[in-house]
Amino acid sequence: MPELQDQPALTIQGLRHRYAPNQPPSLIVPELVLNTSEQMVLTGSSGSGKSTLLHLIAGLMDPSEGTIRVAGTCPQSLRGQARDKFRGRTIGMVFQTHHLLMGFSALENVMAALMFSDIPRGSHRARAKSLLDTLGIATPDQRVERLSVGQQQRVAIARALACDPVLVLADEPTASLDPENAQAALDLLQQACRSSGSALLCVTHDTRLINRFDRNQHLPAPHEQLQETGGGA
Amino acid sequence: MSMSDWNIVTRSMRHRFFSSTITVLSVAVACGLVTLLISMRNAGENSFKRGTGNVQMLISKEPGPLPSVLNSMFYAQAPGNPITWAQFQQLKSSYPFAWAIPTQLGDSYQDAPVMGTDLSFFTSFQPAAGLSWSLQSGTYFEEPFQLVLGSDAAARLGLSLGDSISLEHGAPRTQGGHTHDEFEFSVVGILEPTGTAHDRAMFTSLESSWILHAHDRREAIFGHGIVTIADDLIEEDKKITAVYASLGDRKAALVQVLSALRRDPDWTVANPADTVGGLFSIVSNIDQVLLAMAIAVMLSSGVSILLALYNSMEQRRRQIAVLRVLGASRARVFGLVLTESAIIGLLGGVLGLGIALIGGMLVSTALAQRVGIVVEPALPIDGYLMIVLATVALSCLAGVIPALAAYRTSVVRSLRPVG
Repeated sequence: MPELQDQPALTIQGLRHRYAPNQPPSLIVPELVLNTSEQMVLTGSSGSGKSTLLHLIAGLMDPSEGTIRVAGTCPQSLRGQARDKFRGRTIGMVFQTHHLLMGFSALENVMAALMFSDIPRGSHRARAKSLLDTLGIATPDQRVERLSVGQQQRVAIARALACDPVLVLADEPTASLDPENAQAALDLLQQACRSSGSALLCVTHDTRLINRFDRNQHLPAPHEQLQETGGGA
Repeated sequence: MSMSDWNIVTRSMRHRFFSSTITVLSVAVACGLVTLLISMRNAGENSFKRGTGNVQMLISKEPGPLPSVLNSMFYAQAPGNPITWAQFQQLKSSYPFAWAIPTQLGDSYQDAPVMGTDLSFFTSFQPAAGLSWSLQSGTYFEEPFQLVLGSDAAARLGLSLGDSISLEHGAPRTQGGHTHDEFEFSVVGILEPTGTAHDRAMFTSLESSWILHAHDRREAIFGHGIVTIADDLIEEDKKITAVYASLGDRKAALVQVLSALRRDPDWTVANPADTVGGLFSIVSNIDQVLLAMAIAVMLSSGVSILLALYNSMEQRRRQIAVLRVLGASRARVFGLVLTESAIIGLLGGVLGLGIALIGGMLVSTALAQRVGIVVEPALPIDGYLMIVLATVALSCLAGVIPALAAYRTSVVRSLRPVG
């Protein structure tokens, strides 16, 4: 897919989102471009719409205004199954709470990310195993509920990277970890993205993470932005 | 092995082992009950007809064909109105019977009815179509006061060859019976099981039965302590209660003889197979009620699948949301939940058949031992297949609402961090 390589991993223009038509916007992003393999952190207090932004990028919601393109494709232009498939193939997500599938092994959790893609089934196991190995999970057949919190987050990272996504979205990936584990997890996430060539967009309220990223940007809460520009909705 | 929808479904079921098991069991019980009822219904009529064997006509002086068959072939109660020996002889000479077997009921030992008859009972009469009598051990009776036991009677009462017992006058469970201690009967033969009511009975010669009755008559005249022997019998003592008869292969003659006997007010004639068939058409109302109950049980277990899956949806919203994030479409998660309900239906259905087969065996054993009726609660193989398919279909139907809930799950809302 040479065209995909040429496109930025993420482009956002004139994005505004409201939960209901008559309400003030809950999220405003005038412009944002993230190039291939670039790593960026967006900081913002709670209420700035950080999680909403990630859900919009992932095509789990439709924005009220503006356009989002992931590797040149607007997820909102895709319908139903096509959009789900696009998300599975192009975007990896890491959450604050890992959201692993309970009752399944680490290996199965990673393979679950592959099962909805067009990657040949025969390669799933080896691929998942080597990813977990890279991330330091020595017991891939262990059920995830038996792993430590730090290990669980590593499995979640492996799962996000399973399909070699163009873009990895991380929503407060370190918030549920102690400082030591947080460091380690972030190191692994950034390293893994680099080696797979995936762009990384991380949203967090923790400003201490800023220095670790190529770029950082503050995402002000919408009411602050509206006061600055003096613009209304 | 890579992950598949099947893995996801079976793993989630195992993860919620307790609730999955309970749901499967409730489906299994319902399905088992329905299967048992349907197969019993099927088997009941067949097995009842079985006991009538090759008897074309049962002739008696009972009030009607139904009591006549129930009393003289299924040993329900002692027949009421006796036939004199002379009347029997006259009947026999009036029609072209291939065979006509005199039978006399009225005595018993413990719960087992004792039938007085002659040896043609064992040679001409077949207790079930194509089945001839044979002995487990011993011989048929040759002299008075010898008993041949049906297989169940022997087993239940713990009697074996050479044992001596005293009979009671009066059929089992009737009032005013008394024991004839003066006469000792000895067991000379034990019959092979036939799977009919006859297995519960004991058989002796007509003469032995008559002597018991003659003794009662003579005691009333001469007082206690007298001895009665075959020579003391008078015509009045020689009574029977029914005649098992057949014209053999002459089917055309059968219609004529039946209609002639039906016109004769002195006789009650029954075609045993028809009479039993008639009995079942009366009973079929009850069994529709049972069937309706079974269907109600089935429906309620459908509701329990619905509830079990729906409740599990609350716990599973997160799982479903995660799968959606990983690229699963709405249709696919709908399919996952529907597959789970189909699996519950399939497991429940198959387990239910197991329950029905075991239950059927228990019931048929109990029936065979207590009532002497052989019920084989079996359906044709496609009947079982239909039941399992219907169970799966019903389960899928019950799964639609929870599956829709999965379909509509909001990913964004379900992924909010806890706390």
